[in-house]
Amino acid sequence: MNRLVTVAEMTLRELARRRGVLLLLLLMPLVFWLIRRDSYVGQSIRALLLGISWAVSTAALFATSAARELEPRLRLAGYRPHHLYLGRMLGLWVLGLVISVPFFLLTVVDAANLRHGGIAMAMLCCVVVAAPFGMLIGALLPRELEGTLLLLTVVAVQMLLDPASSGAKLTPFWSSREIATWAVDHTDGGYLSRGALHGIVVTVLLIVTVAGVFAVRLRSRRHLHHAPLV
Amino acid sequence: MNADDWLRAFAVELHQRRVAVDAARHVVAEAATHLREGGGDPWLVFGAPQAYAAAIVDTIGTAPGPRPGPVRLHAQGITKRYGRRTVLRDATLTVRAGQIAAVIGANGCGKSTFLRICAGLISPDAGEVTVSGRLGYCPQQGGTADFLLPDEHFVLVGAGQGVARGAARRAGRAAARHLGWDAESNVLARHLSGGTRQKLNLTMSTLAQPDVLLLDEPYQGFDQGSYVNLWDQLTRLRDEGKAIVVVTHLLNQLDRVDVVLDLTPAQQGGRS
Repeated sequence: MNRLVTVAEMTLRELARRRGVLLLLLLMPLVFWLIRRDSYVGQSIRALLLGISWAVSTAALFATSAARELEPRLRLAGYRPHHLYLGRMLGLWVLGLVISVPFFLLTVVDAANLRHGGIAMAMLCCVVVAAPFGMLIGALLPRELEGTLLLLTVVAVQMLLDPASSGAKLTPFWSSREIATWAVDHTDGGYLSRGALHGIVVTVLLIVTVAGVFAVRLRSRRHLHHAPLV
Repeated sequence: MNADDWLRAFAVELHQRRVAVDAARHVVAEAATHLREGGGDPWLVFGAPQAYAAAIVDTIGTAPGPRPGPVRLHAQGITKRYGRRTVLRDATLTVRAGQIAAVIGANGCGKSTFLRICAGLISPDAGEVTVSGRLGYCPQQGGTADFLLPDEHFVLVGAGQGVARGAARRAGRAAARHLGWDAESNVLARHLSGGTRQKLNLTMSTLAQPDVLLLDEPYQGFDQGSYVNLWDQLTRLRDEGKAIVVVTHLLNQLDRVDVVLDLTPAQQGGRS
């Protein structure tokens, strides 16, 4: 547990010192929200959620890429793969939640007649899905540019797809959109339950995939045998 | 050559003549005190560093030769190919406790690849490695976190072994002092000079008290004093019974190693 918390703490410390990155993390959802500010309130909130998702997954992508050289030696220092990916994920979740708080307050101040619990839950879904999603891309694509372009593609697809289409359900952040619809448009509870279920399933799938990728990358090699210390 | 340069050259000469680390440190400190209190040109007071070191060796003798212990690392028949290019062919190395092994060879002959295979970071196409005890690895570059302080690196590595934060910080700072570096400053790793960053890298690799230490050109960016401190540290670790493998192409240090693996015959032009 101590190892996991230490990795989470160091992830947070690293990101907290990157003030430019933090500023951009806050700016991205804000810009998304401002662009849609004049239109229908639901549009601005959905854009805000997409901004948070993109910001957190980008942070996760860069944190994972930056740790690529460090992780093998931490493995040698006694860490197991799950300490490394779960610790980093934990740190990113905390960061994502901290970033979401001012935006949640913004929605409270800016728009009336919303189900604010639903907005909070949609933001939670964004953060919970975005961290393992960004980490997965960072783990699979060794270069940040490729990873960023892939993230951009996913977010663009998410933005352009009709949420009612079956293809939209395959996008990672569909859950937050469904929950936001429930929170903004006061639709029936089906939106909330579908969104929550999608969020849980996607999160679990992403965590399992991240675990698999890290387990392969940081595996004990067959050629290396450990003899007892004489 | 001023007094500091003379002292550094003198220290190097003592080390190359295998004077015991503590004795050499003591003699250099005495010479420094003498020069500070008495003044004068060291060349006039003591003569050439080489001649004075030879006189000291005649007086106090050299450190006893290393007594190798049990085998700590045995790499047998290591072969590695990248595509059609074979960078390592049937490389074999045995290092015992209390030995320093040097892996040498031209650029691209597979030195770093060999070390990474020994560390279990990449797989060979053929061959096996047996390690007895805990492994430590210092990469040629990278391996540190840009936005963490040195102390935080020590805490991070220490936590892997279940070492408490305070103890990890103290151990890291003490190991850093052996390399002539004060690691207590609050400077992010990305603001450290290349040599100091490499000292951080090296300190991290020794922090977990490894039995087998694998170092990939650990002296990059070191000034001469740091370089001497590095070999001091390696000699000390060897005397403590560690098995050390150093990738190097500084042949003048080979007289301080016990085993040499020359990878030059392997096909050149690949990765290093």
